[in-house]
Amino acid sequence: MGREKEKEKLSEKALNLLRSRLSDPNFIFRPLSDSPDSNYSKLKFIISTSVTEACNNSILLLGPRGSGKVAVLELVLSDLLQQYPEAISVIRLNGLLHSDDNCALKEIARQLCMEHQLLFSKVASFDDNSQFMIAMLRECGLAHKTIIFVLDEFDFFAQGKQRLLYSLLDAMQSVNSQAVVIGVSCRLDVDQLLEKRVRSRFSHRKLLFLSPSKEDTERFIEHILSLPMDSSLPHNYTAEFNGRLKKLLSDERFKELIDTYLSFNFTIGHLVRFLFQAVSYMDLSAGFLSLGNFKTALSSNQRQPKLECIRDCSVLELYMMVCMKRLEVKEQASYNFYSVMTEYKSIHDSFQTSDYYAANVCLRAFEHLLQCQLISFIDNKGHNQSVEFRPVKLLISSAELHQGLKSYQQCPAILLKLMDR
Amino acid sequence: MATEESPQVTRRATRSYSASNTAIESTNLPESYKPTINDLGFRQQPLRLEDLLSSFPGRRSQILELLRLLGPLNSPMFPILVYGGPSTGKTSVTLQVFRHLNRPFIYSSCITCYSPRILFESILNQLLFHRKDSGHSYSSVKRCERPSDFVNYLREALENVLTNLKGNSGKVSSKMSGRPDGTMVYLVFDNLERIRDWDKSSTILPFLFNLNDILKMPEVGLIFISNTSPDTYYLNIGYVEPIPLYFPDYTEDDLRHIFMANQTNSRLYASFLDVVLRPFCRVTRQVDELAAAFSSLFKKYSEPLSDKEVAPNEEMKRRLFSHIRPHIASALNETFQVRSQPLLKAETNEETKKTNSSRMLGIREDFDKIDFHMSTSAKYLLISAFLASRNPATLDASLFDSTGVSDSRKRKRKASEKSMDQKEMAEQELLMKGPGTFPLERLLAIFQCITSLAEDSLDEEESHELTVEGGSRGLMSDVLLQLSSLCNANFIIKGGSCPLEGSTRYRTAVSEDLALKVARSLKFPLSKYLYRR
Repeated sequence: MGREKEKEKLSEKALNLLRSRLSDPNFIFRPLSDSPDSNYSKLKFIISTSVTEACNNSILLLGPRGSGKVAVLELVLSDLLQQYPEAISVIRLNGLLHSDDNCALKEIARQLCMEHQLLFSKVASFDDNSQFMIAMLRECGLAHKTIIFVLDEFDFFAQGKQRLLYSLLDAMQSVNSQAVVIGVSCRLDVDQLLEKRVRSRFSHRKLLFLSPSKEDTERFIEHILSLPMDSSLPHNYTAEFNGRLKKLLSDERFKELIDTYLSFNFTIGHLVRFLFQAVSYMDLSAGFLSLGNFKTALSSNQRQPKLECIRDCSVLELYMMVCMKRLEVKEQASYNFYSVMTEYKSIHDSFQTSDYYAANVCLRAFEHLLQCQLISFIDNKGHNQSVEFRPVKLLISSAELHQGLKSYQQCPAILLKLMDR
Repeated sequence: MATEESPQVTRRATRSYSASNTAIESTNLPESYKPTINDLGFRQQPLRLEDLLSSFPGRRSQILELLRLLGPLNSPMFPILVYGGPSTGKTSVTLQVFRHLNRPFIYSSCITCYSPRILFESILNQLLFHRKDSGHSYSSVKRCERPSDFVNYLREALENVLTNLKGNSGKVSSKMSGRPDGTMVYLVFDNLERIRDWDKSSTILPFLFNLNDILKMPEVGLIFISNTSPDTYYLNIGYVEPIPLYFPDYTEDDLRHIFMANQTNSRLYASFLDVVLRPFCRVTRQVDELAAAFSSLFKKYSEPLSDKEVAPNEEMKRRLFSHIRPHIASALNETFQVRSQPLLKAETNEETKKTNSSRMLGIREDFDKIDFHMSTSAKYLLISAFLASRNPATLDASLFDSTGVSDSRKRKRKASEKSMDQKEMAEQELLMKGPGTFPLERLLAIFQCITSLAEDSLDEEESHELTVEGGSRGLMSDVLLQLSSLCNANFIIKGGSCPLEGSTRYRTAVSEDLALKVARSLKFPLSKYLYRR
């Protein structure tokens, strides 16, 4: 009994270690950035030359979500801050939060004040803030300090009039300033969104973040999931864990599984999330990862939500959906609750089903279908009509409905027959 | 002299304001409760795993999966999206899991927090241990409207709470002191699907899903609970999806377990469920709708039994089944209703009548009456609105001529094929379009015609309900007030304005059944006035 508890404690520790590793972007992307022609080194080179040679620069980091753009950037920045502690200050903006110009300048002013221990006033106007920013740029330039602006979700800043971008890039043109603007975006064509005057001030440097090759991915998985030998866990447990892991990774079925997952989501971020799920399913009493963990994680990611919704419906709701399908087949352009009810009544009259219920119960089922988003209103503006009269449309195809009916437990045979007509 | 009620005040104040002011100052404000860090955890008896699993029948795999994804103490996590149909137990399972784990969490529901500002401020209030009370006139601790402000305040507040928790974790075991465990804080967002209907949903939803990346704090865990599946949230902006956790609807066996819990006479209830569960599951499988139907039906089921504690044998079961069978069919066609008049009348009716058929008659009588109260003029207004929506405007002159005699007899023509087809198409069109709109003047004209009719018939019965002595002007103002209250009760919908005239048009929203019921209560021959094609 005591041994089992000890084993559980050990596996819990190992689990904790793996989970914190998988949630830490720094740990994940450092090994991928080791080679000299990786994006890490290129980025580091560009920024450090701007810092040492006191010149202005701008660069875009592009790549799909989860490819590690911000993670690599943070690695570079932390290394540079260690190298040149007094010569860099970093301002971080995010397009989701600060796409409005007033908001963005306020945030820039706040962060500048925090770094340089100045008092920040919340009621400063847009002009005050922009003058403050220009003044700070000049001062920092004279003191040979580079300000690095990180603009996350760059495509949001390129919406609207792009006033912030223009003022930033314009301020960089003056002789005294030393600034680097780094834009991070998932849209690969984000520089096409820039206005002419902004684009002319932007140096067209782009770094593309692509997903690593297959061998790199395999090496990466092994590196991430192996327990380190010098941790606080006992040596024999770690050795056995790593040994089993190696055997699992070389298994053909495992490789197939990873390929299937990566064919849908091919970035490192998605892979890490998948590994996190698999690791969380680790059986604590056994203490080792097994193929079953990965299989469960894969199946929970490969859900078909609409089919699940259909399986959760009651028989009456299935009737309503089949009626709507028949109305569509009859080429009726739009239908509402009452037309569905007439179809339902005609089915009942011709086939004498036992499932004939009153209008209010059917309306309740209809609203349940609306809530699950299996059907929806055609337009959102019809708020001056009651629910029964607004036209609706089906949000699933007939193939999906057919599949759902087949997999439904105790589906009435009449429904399948009606669908086949 | 009533100096109490109207004191000398330098600024203008109404009498009621000054009266209430003095009243507040005289009473002592009660001591308000100041929340502390212990409130972030569930302040109830901690729950063991076996109790947790047994209190949620049919949810064993979901609970275990949730526990596995949350992980051991102080282990960072990826955001989780818990989704499933309504009343499948998502919120209760999540909250009870947190009670079992005794970890600090912040809960906010997007039904009570119906705008971004309220959502942000509610979370900040909970993190900063601020409770809204009359001392600060029910204001939040910080005014926060935009996501950028929210992120800054949230970071500060979380850092405070986390340092607090870290300090606590070094001390005595928290089981004794009721303190929550660990150094992580979890944010639970409930009813996420409501955000889709907000104005700012296109910025708030991606913001919430990306909150994990924006905050970059591994000690914060995010859990989203939603009634709709993840594919209803796909937006123009991508995000790394949260880990989905699906709560399927209950199967029939699970439903049986759920309803059998906490029953005093389990064998009687089991035989009841054998009879009703299967037919009702064909209509709906949601627990709340079934529970409402079963509670009233079970009372009827156990009526013939003199001793409610007895366990039924086969013969008794058969007797009870034949007793309940006619009621099941009618109960299947009912949805949950809140009756405004007490059921005493119906019960006395049933006690006096012994035969089956008259009991059914009693039920039908109930259906014929409307069970809410309306004034007479409101009822007439409702009927006029229904007529105005149903009939085309050109018929008004012939239906409501000055003598008040309705003449809707049409010359009978032989129905030809073409006219039958046209009739069908016209009916379909009518179904699709719904009730028509009408301007205010037409409504009032019809109302006047109808009420003048009613006056003549009422004079014969010597009733004094309608007062027209005040002249038409008095009736008019009352009618406009009634119209606005009918609009508020959604009997009449205010539609868009006519593009030519600019006046607003109205539309009726009641079904024909309700209009017939109202007309029957007034003894008004509605069917004579309805236009049938």
